[in-house]
This record gives sequence, C-alpha cells and structure tokens, in this order.
Amino acid sequence: MKTVKNFVKVRNTTEHYRQSEHYKKGEVVSAYGFLTPAMVLAILFIVLPIILAFTYGFTDYYLLKPNDKQFIGLENFTRMLSDEVLMKSFMNTIKFVVFVVPLQLSMALGLALIVNKKIKGVGFFRTAYFSPAVLSLVVISILWTVMLNPTSGLINEILANIGLPKQPFLSSADQAMYTIVAISAWSGCGYQMMIFLAGLKNIDNSLYEAADIDGANAFQKFLFITIPSLKPILMFLVITTTIQAFKLIVQPMVMTGGGPDYSTMTILQYIYEYGFRHRNIGYASAVTLMFTVFLVVVSIVIKKLFREERAA
Amino acid sequence: MKIVKKSLFYLLASVVALQFLVPLVWMILSSFKIDEVIYRDIGSIYAIIPKFSDLSLKSYTELLGFYHIFQNVGNSLIYASITVVFGLTINSLAGYALARFQFPFKDWILIFIIALMIVPIEATILPLFLVVNEMGLINTVPGYLMPFIINVMNIFLFRQHFLSFPGELIESGKIDGLSEMGCFFRIVIPSSLNMYITVGILTFLASWNDFLWPVMALSNAELMPIQVALNAIFSDTYNIYTSHMMAALTIVTIPIVVLYIIFQKYIVEGSMQSGIK
Repeated sequence: MKTVKNFVKVRNTTEHYRQSEHYKKGEVVSAYGFLTPAMVLAILFIVLPIILAFTYGFTDYYLLKPNDKQFIGLENFTRMLSDEVLMKSFMNTIKFVVFVVPLQLSMALGLALIVNKKIKGVGFFRTAYFSPAVLSLVVISILWTVMLNPTSGLINEILANIGLPKQPFLSSADQAMYTIVAISAWSGCGYQMMIFLAGLKNIDNSLYEAADIDGANAFQKFLFITIPSLKPILMFLVITTTIQAFKLIVQPMVMTGGGPDYSTMTILQYIYEYGFRHRNIGYASAVTLMFTVFLVVVSIVIKKLFREERAA
Repeated sequence: MKIVKKSLFYLLASVVALQFLVPLVWMILSSFKIDEVIYRDIGSIYAIIPKFSDLSLKSYTELLGFYHIFQNVGNSLIYASITVVFGLTINSLAGYALARFQFPFKDWILIFIIALMIVPIEATILPLFLVVNEMGLINTVPGYLMPFIINVMNIFLFRQHFLSFPGELIESGKIDGLSEMGCFFRIVIPSSLNMYITVGILTFLASWNDFLWPVMALSNAELMPIQVALNAIFSDTYNIYTSHMMAALTIVTIPIVVLYIIFQKYIVEGSMQSGIK
C-alpha cells in the first residue's frame, strides 16, 4: 500500500525536473556509478531467475541431463491440473493462510490490548509475549516438534495432567496442518503485537473520554473507536501476513517433511522437493511461474481492495 | 471492586504469559538436565521450575564434543555481518542516487525497482538456484551471499529517507572539496546512523534466520550456517538426546537475545518503518 502511495509521490517529484531536462554531467556520472552495483545484482538475482522460470517452464529440463532439454509447449501446465499432490499442496497452503491470518492477528490485537493498560508490571508482560520472536523459525520448529511428541512430549503431559486425552498432533494427517497454524501464530503474534501497540498509543484519548460521557461501554468503545482507528495498521498487517503465509515452508520442512500423507506439503515446498531434490527443473519451473504470478495477483488484489477501502 | 478488576487483569495477563514462557523456560531448563531427569520431571511442575541439584552442564559439554556448533554459529555471524556491510553500502548508494541526483532514465529505474518489490523473492528460489548453479557458485560463500545482498525494499526505504536529507550539508561538503562519493561516506552516512542501524539490524536478523536458501546453496558441512546445521542435527540423528537438542537451541538463541537487548528500540521501530509511514 505504501508502495503505491509513494509511487504517486515519485511521479510528482520527478515531473518537475523532467520539464527542465538539463542534467549536470558530474551528477549523471555519480548517479550511474552509485546505481551500478545494485542494478547488476538485481538483474542477475531477481530478473534473471524469472526469465529462467519462463524459459524452462516450457521444457522437460532435467538437471542431470542438461543437454537433453526439449521444448514441450504447455505440457507442464496441463500436467499440473491432474497432479494430485500439487493440488493438495495448493489447498494446504490456502488452508494455512485462511486460518493463520485471522488467528495470528486477533491474538496480536488481544495481546496489544492487554499490554496497553497503564498498570504496574505491564513491561514484564510485553517482554513475555514478545519473547518467541527472538527464536528463529528453525529453533521454533524443532522445539515444538519435541514438545508435541505424541508419547512423551511436554504438551501431552500437560493435557494428561488436566484430564484431557493425548493427541497425535504432527503425526496425524488431520491435525498436522492446524498444529502448524497454531505454532506459527504463537511465534509470530508478538511482533505484530508491538505494531498494534504503537497504533493503540496513537489513538487520541479524548475520543474515549467523549465516549465515556456518552455512556459507551468498553465493548462499544472497542468496536467504534479502537477498531476504526487501527484500520490502516490492520490492513497493512493483513497484507503482509497473507503474503508471508503463502510462502510457508520452513515449519513443514523441519517438523513434518510435508507429511503425514502430504497433509502439510505447501506449494513452495512442492517446488523445493520436485525441483531441487528430484532435479525436475522443467516442471518445477512451470509451477514456480504459476505460483509467482498467483502471488503477484493476490498482492495486487488485496492492495487494490485496501485502496478502495481508504477512498470510500 | 477496583482491586477485583485489577487482580483479574493480572490473572489473565499471567495465564497468557505462561503460554509464551513455558516452552522457552522448558527449553532452557531441559538443556541443563540429562534426559532421564527431563522425562522424569515432564509431568510435574519441575519441568519448568529449576531444582538446582538436578542441573549440570553435561549436555553442553557432550553436545560440543559431538558437533561443531560454534563453527556454525561463527559461520552465521560472518555471513550476516558481510550481508549487512555490503547490503547497507550497495542499497543505500542506490537509494541515495535515486533521491538526490537528476539523470536520464531516472523514472524508469525507479519504476523498475518498485516493480521488483512485488516479486515474491522466495517463490523464485528454484530458478535463483539455477542462476547461481550456472555461474558455478553453488557451495561457495559468494554464491550464497550475493543474491541476498541486494534488497530492493531497502533501496526504496533509503531513497525515502534521503529525500528529506538536507542538501545544504552536502553543498557545504563539496565546498570543502569532497567528491560525491566523499560526501556520501563522510557526511551522509554519519548523519543517517539511525537509519543505517535500523536497516542493518533487520538485515542481520533476516540473514541469521535464513534457512531455505542456505539449504540449497551451501551443503558443505564446514560452510553450513547454524540454522541448517541445527536441522541436520535434528533430522540426521534419530537418537539425539533431548537435552543435547535443547542445549543446541539455547546456544543458537543467545546471540539474538543479546542483539535484541542492545537494539530493541531499532528492531521494533524498523519493523514498522518498513511498512507504515
């Protein structure tokens, strides 16, 4: 969203100079000098991969037989439609996004509301809620896999202590993805709590005082003052969390390897498995291409929705 | 009434806090136990409350005897530092040029940068691997580091920052005989330190935490960064002791905790700056 807004600003500021069309030679030389390293790296490592995905996506390129690649037209793309594992991975990814975004954001907002209270000891709670954010995804994944062990893990012992039945968690095709959703929300919400908190601190207190005079209760104040004031932040977090969630891979890679029965395999992981591990470059490039286009479309669509929301 | 409300608040806040702290406390505490003690305590409160007679450094000494964790931590620290130094220099130079200079095709280059910002970089990780592979740089440190030194988001952030940089400062530097490059390193960087620290810290954390790319680009055990090494320890050894694993996780977390304590302010501000403004 910021990109789009700034882009408008970009056009406006440069417009003025373009009319004058005179450049100082020293400036031009410095500018290209300053830009060259970044441009070379960007072309090599961002643009070139996209071009490669485009060209290899229409071939049967197999990494171990590099001289034997044939142009096969749209065959890779038609193959995708009947590829059950790919479809399953896609649905898993959607499932993850649909559950993790609302869960994580509502947890983050709830935490922010708690630590926004001006009360003694709130700093401790803020640090506690934020603490998982210092762990890397790999550390989180390993720690939780050990804790969720179906026979001897900490979580099942706690469940047993409070009289609940033991759960299989990651080793059950029904529960594995929801477990990953919960762990991801657990580890990510502290960060977003801080962002919500900054937003809450910015809300003008006189709004709440006015509402008090009108006799509004806490829930009404939350619904009619807090939520609307947080809307820009909320939308920003929805966009970033959604895009991030589509790129899920580390947790399933470390915790389940995509199993059981492909129930936690995501699109990115599918590309990794078939392209990198099985060296099936042609087909995986085609999947990469579709996935990239899909993500670009998704981010454009939600940014557009957001812009309309703001204009309204 | 007020007391009741207050105690309810503390009760709620504490119960929630437990859900975040119990896993971390269990991780750290278990790293100081032996496996028999971990699994003896696991159903009791001693899983998360230390009983000092049970604690020892045994798992740490054994772990460090089996695996070269410190070498992997060292690798990661070096990789992250190189990425920060080169990334800050290259991206801020580009951002500065786009903010301050007038030159042909400036608009096009800006549009190019903005267009690249929308490319989901992890999604194209396979063709990135192919590019680096065809350059013959797979399993080399430059091949691993170069692709993530460039960061178009940071170029854009630096540009936005430098748009409001006072031009008089640079003019006065030029009067003193500095070149554009001299102005940049002697005037612009020192007076934008906050910005550099913020972007630098976020770059460091991203590099430290990266997993997927080093799995593909660096399979040589001696070059492995710590995240990949952790996963290798976890998955290759079926019978790894829980205490050893927890010791490894704790060791890996310590540098980041230190970083957070020192740079807390920058990390939180930075994560917002890259989004909301």
